[in-house]
Amino acid sequence: MTEEYTYRKIIHVDMDAFYASVEQLDNPELRGKPLAVGGASERGVVSAASYEARKYGVRSAMSGVLARKKCPHLIFVKPRFERYKEISQKIRAIFFDYTDLVEPLSLDEAYLDVTENKKGNPSASLIAKEIRKRIADELHLNASAGISNSKFVAKIASDINKPNGQKTIPPEEVIDFLEALPIEKFFGIGRVTAAKMFNLGIFTGKDLKAKDEAFLTAHFKSSGAHYFNLVRGNYHSKVKPNRERKSVAAEHTFKTNLTSEIFMLEKLEQISEELERRLSKSKVSGKTITLKIKYSDFTTQTRSKTLPFFIKEKAVLLETVKELLFQEKVQNSVRLLGISVTNLNIHSKKKPEKPIDVQLKFEF
Amino acid sequence: MKFIVSSSQLLKQLQVLGGVINSSNTLPILDNFLFELNQNELKISASDLETTMSTSIEVESDSEGSVAISARLLLDTLKTFPNQPLTFKTEENNTVEISSSHGKYDMAYFDGNEFPKAVSIATPSKTVIPGEILATAISKTIFAAGNDDLRPVMSGVFFQFSTDSLTFVATDAHKLVKYSRTDVVANDTAEFIMPKKPLNLLKGILGGNESDVTIEYNDANAKFTFDNVVLVCRLIDGKYPNYEAVIPKENPNKLTVERGIFLNSVKRVSIFSSKTTHQIRLKMAGTELNISAEDIDYSNKAEERLVCEYQGDDMQIGFNSRFLTEMLSNLNSNEVLIEMSMPNRAGILTPIDGVEEGEFITMLVMPVMLNS
Repeated sequence: MTEEYTYRKIIHVDMDAFYASVEQLDNPELRGKPLAVGGASERGVVSAASYEARKYGVRSAMSGVLARKKCPHLIFVKPRFERYKEISQKIRAIFFDYTDLVEPLSLDEAYLDVTENKKGNPSASLIAKEIRKRIADELHLNASAGISNSKFVAKIASDINKPNGQKTIPPEEVIDFLEALPIEKFFGIGRVTAAKMFNLGIFTGKDLKAKDEAFLTAHFKSSGAHYFNLVRGNYHSKVKPNRERKSVAAEHTFKTNLTSEIFMLEKLEQISEELERRLSKSKVSGKTITLKIKYSDFTTQTRSKTLPFFIKEKAVLLETVKELLFQEKVQNSVRLLGISVTNLNIHSKKKPEKPIDVQLKFEF
Repeated sequence: MKFIVSSSQLLKQLQVLGGVINSSNTLPILDNFLFELNQNELKISASDLETTMSTSIEVESDSEGSVAISARLLLDTLKTFPNQPLTFKTEENNTVEISSSHGKYDMAYFDGNEFPKAVSIATPSKTVIPGEILATAISKTIFAAGNDDLRPVMSGVFFQFSTDSLTFVATDAHKLVKYSRTDVVANDTAEFIMPKKPLNLLKGILGGNESDVTIEYNDANAKFTFDNVVLVCRLIDGKYPNYEAVIPKENPNKLTVERGIFLNSVKRVSIFSSKTTHQIRLKMAGTELNISAEDIDYSNKAEERLVCEYQGDDMQIGFNSRFLTEMLSNLNSNEVLIEMSMPNRAGILTPIDGVEEGEFITMLVMPVMLNS
């Protein structure tokens, strides 16, 4: 099995400051200027920043107010998702000239498996170069790429020579590369996990490798085994052209922060309604309901509950979310509430397609 | 010790008491009936240590004594006799000799002192209930009690006595029955959980009985006394779940149907339901109730339509048909009201007619969540 994966050739293509670049492309007067997409309204959040703006420390997911503080002459533009989608489809069309194994991660990112490609080109690095050149020539946008034998390493590699660059990590260098990699750069290790790793004396891939599986499982539960394999280069998730939907969510940022649960309930009802609409549009239902609470200080809390059955109805959603809301007092004023449904019923389709009916019990 | 007794009268008592005796006992003495003779009064007892029941009958005698005699042997013999006087007499070699018009039968006996004594209840509280009402309360609730050894409290019926009502509750976490009477009250509030076995025995003897039953209880035991019968049993130890909390308060969807017709439909449609979930589906819209079931494994499918009275949003909800059948069969009304809120919340069944003044029955059933 592992042998087969050693020869996989995976490219991770990541567009550089995608939304901002599209805006600069469509509006020549914005070129060369610090630009933020989104975040214009008082309560908005920056969804993308141009490289000119990034020099000032403006980052995506930063509040508009803070972004303006960092860069007073920052230009804010409203996002036009329809346009980004249109361009994204053109980019994907280029990918499909090389391989059908394209797994989009979002509008501006995708994995390509070019082990067997339509051009018969044995070099993934050259294919990446060609794709980037075509994106630049045909769409006048810059892309970066990472090339390796796994999705995980390719994704990290695409960041190395960003913007407008690419990096290849050949299979024989993967192990060394991972060993030298700072722990927080590992895809899937966020701020919280990284801090936990630091406390355990893990700062690089090499430190992580020194720990045995039992140790990692003890500290990180099921993720422990995943990290154990990751750092040994044993992570070989396939490029899945039909990425299954994992969750359906709806959220809302409020004009003024909410302090009372009564107002939050009212908002949650609207969000549940929207979510019900989205669920029925995607024809899915799910078992796990997660309530996301973002406080005015930007800390985020999630509370979730898994039901023994699949739901999609607004009433049941709202009821579960209510329970989650009142489970613990909200600690601060709230700027955003969101509800997501995961554990969707599309995944259980792998088993024979038979409805799973559950006899419910009283909650004594 | 010697007495003469009517064979059929004795058999009648022994058959009632026989229900107490377990089919296999670790303590061999429990395979016996205890006979305690005091002149003309013969007291017969049976026990499984948890429950002890005694009855008294009048016999012809002028002696006293106490012996334990094999229940199996006695019952099997008595069943074969036409009614006639039988003479019981203890012999020197630890045997009892029974003389009938047909012949003589000898059986070994144990000394009556070896038989476990029924517990005496210290400082009991006391409530008196008409036998018929107690019998009804038991038969309305007991079918809903559970069999789960892990939750022993739910394997019994919860007696909740107060100064303005008596309430009896049983649940197995899937279905729940609450039976209340406001026409019979207790002097004090009290709560205890009765095991199923003594209740089934009581139900058997009390049916159609017009005498009053005196219930004496403390926190460990209860004693039921009526006519010539005394039943003492151990209570189930533990806290009964807060059943009131699971009764949904707001139920905007109200369905009224004729009970008999609905029950027949449910029975018929359920034949086509899945053999594992026994699930049937109710769909309410306007004045139509649609009842359907499907067994995908065998491609069996059924659907019926009933006219009903329905107020509320169109909805569909799944139930285990066995639960519905049990509950509907246990009601006597012509019409039944089913109140519902959501497909994942309990449905509430109440009879619309056919209840006595001061009698209240509430039945709850948890749905089966439909996934299609």
